[in-house]
Amino acid sequence: MRPAPRFTRTPIRLAAAAAIATLLACSESRRAVTELHVDDFGAVIDAGTVTAPARIASLNPATTELLFALGAGPRLVARTTWDVWPDAARAVPDVGPGLRPNVEAVLARHPDLVVLYASAENRVAAEQLRAAGIKVIALRTDKIADFVRASRELGRATGEDAAAAIVVDTMQRTLARVRAATLHLDHPTVFWHVWDSPIYTIGSGSFLDELLTIGGGTNIYADRTEPSPQVSLEDIIRRNPSVILAGATGQKSLMESPLWQSVRAVREGRVFVVDTNLIGRPSVRAGEAAASIARLLHPGIAL
Amino acid sequence: MSAALRASLLWSGVALVVLIVAIAAIAYGAVPLDARAVVHAIAGRGDPVTVAIVRTLRLPRAVLALLVGAGLGMAGAALQGALRNALAEPYLLGVSGGAAVGAVAAVALGATGAFALPLASFAGATLAIAVALLVARASGGRADPRVLLMAGVIVGAFANAAIMVLLSNAPPNAIRNALWWMMGSVGDAGWLTVGWLAVYVALGGALLLWFARDIDILALGEESAAALGVDAARSSRSIFLIAALLSAATVAAAGLVGFVGLVVPHLVRSLGVRRHRPLIAGAALVGAGLVVAADLVARLARPPAELPLGAVTALLGVPFFLLQLRRLS
Repeated sequence: MRPAPRFTRTPIRLAAAAAIATLLACSESRRAVTELHVDDFGAVIDAGTVTAPARIASLNPATTELLFALGAGPRLVARTTWDVWPDAARAVPDVGPGLRPNVEAVLARHPDLVVLYASAENRVAAEQLRAAGIKVIALRTDKIADFVRASRELGRATGEDAAAAIVVDTMQRTLARVRAATLHLDHPTVFWHVWDSPIYTIGSGSFLDELLTIGGGTNIYADRTEPSPQVSLEDIIRRNPSVILAGATGQKSLMESPLWQSVRAVREGRVFVVDTNLIGRPSVRAGEAAASIARLLHPGIAL
Repeated sequence: MSAALRASLLWSGVALVVLIVAIAAIAYGAVPLDARAVVHAIAGRGDPVTVAIVRTLRLPRAVLALLVGAGLGMAGAALQGALRNALAEPYLLGVSGGAAVGAVAAVALGATGAFALPLASFAGATLAIAVALLVARASGGRADPRVLLMAGVIVGAFANAAIMVLLSNAPPNAIRNALWWMMGSVGDAGWLTVGWLAVYVALGGALLLWFARDIDILALGEESAAALGVDAARSSRSIFLIAALLSAATVAAAGLVGFVGLVVPHLVRSLGVRRHRPLIAGAALVGAGLVVAADLVARLARPPAELPLGAVTALLGVPFFLLQLRRLS
């Protein structure tokens, strides 16, 4: 919605980068430029051409946590109100929301790199920040693969490649261990209760569905591709899950509701509470999160 | 003191207030800036961060707020006159509903381009206006403004239903995005948006001022208008179209900024303006001042978060309006 100064015109930058890549590919240095790093808004991430950023604003809880895990925490100069993990993040100045961030407040922190969540609502902010001459990386952090990609790109952009490799490796190894432990167990059918009125659950497009599958459960709404489909109580009764996973308040309201008594898992008391602090978004603790689900679904499992 | 002198003093005063509010909108924001630094930054000198805050954020934002307010104020004044109904306002006539359907559909279908929302909302508004005009024509409503009003209200009701259907099946992220748009904001302002809206407001405003004499005559009733050589049905349809397109453009630029089109014309009338040329001009000025002031309050209420602009315009405007009512009675 604002005039795009020439350096924010992503397609042009892309085209230019592609042209350079082609030229270089034709010369002898064939392998150097084949991998073009692009963020989730399609903007080229030009790490390596500039010095590592010294003042980073991270406007997404997942990337803030990740930057601390990469050892770039001391370089953070701004975070959102919701970025409270790890504890050290609370010491970073809070600049308000991460969706439609207050660009003025972000600029006032003098960042040289801003990490945004790649949601359509943040496109204008990304353009405004670029217009002010600041490097912006917009990344999705919706699924495990996004998180792995975010770790690598942020590692590369902050000069913490080695730490990123370790973070990714540790998480993937824990996930692999949990997957192996649950692989040959019976996978109970699970309804994941996200929200009441209207009832929201998780579909196969979500990160929670990935964790649930690795943790040894079968999402009864895996046939729905959207991340959080809206469903009806009737249909839940028809699909008859053997276990329900919910947050602490959700579990209480399900157990007390006369309507939900019509679901067998509720009647028989198989509504388990998930740790919403641990499980909520892709993070360095995704392995732990999958393990905690495996323990809920398979009591006594050795992990 | 003569009436003319009093009027010119009054309007100079109003213009001065609007100017002061506009300057305040550039000087104040989430980040406190030194007054001298702001002046330097407008000229492009000084600390680059201050320059970026003032020139790429606050300046286009303040200008956009002025334009949105002016456009909605003029559209409201013209519609209330042409349709001879004090409750007529651009948003009541299906414009906001149509625009919202367009925007919500774009969001729900996952359109993410920078211009997807403004284009979709403008398309939706234009479609709603066309349908309202067709309904009014099909029902044979010659010069009866009530038919046009009804048509607009019905299109609006249909649009509301469509929005609810779209939102009930949209993912939570899309719902939040759509709701934010429906609450109005000039936070995405850039010079390109300011540029095209300025063209719209200038053209639409000039046309409405040109039609102002017709509106004065329409107020006398259909027969008197015909006697004076004004085709009432045609005139009111033209004015409806111009005003609706003008408000559709403001909606495309800033989402739904409610209340301005309804109450600003009443405010101006309460200042003693009766004829439509000064009424439309006055509504532009007061509307501009109200929206830019509301945006300033929206930004300063609890920084760094922002309040929805559409809510603040009403919160600021209603008490002011009640005060005027009290003073008159």
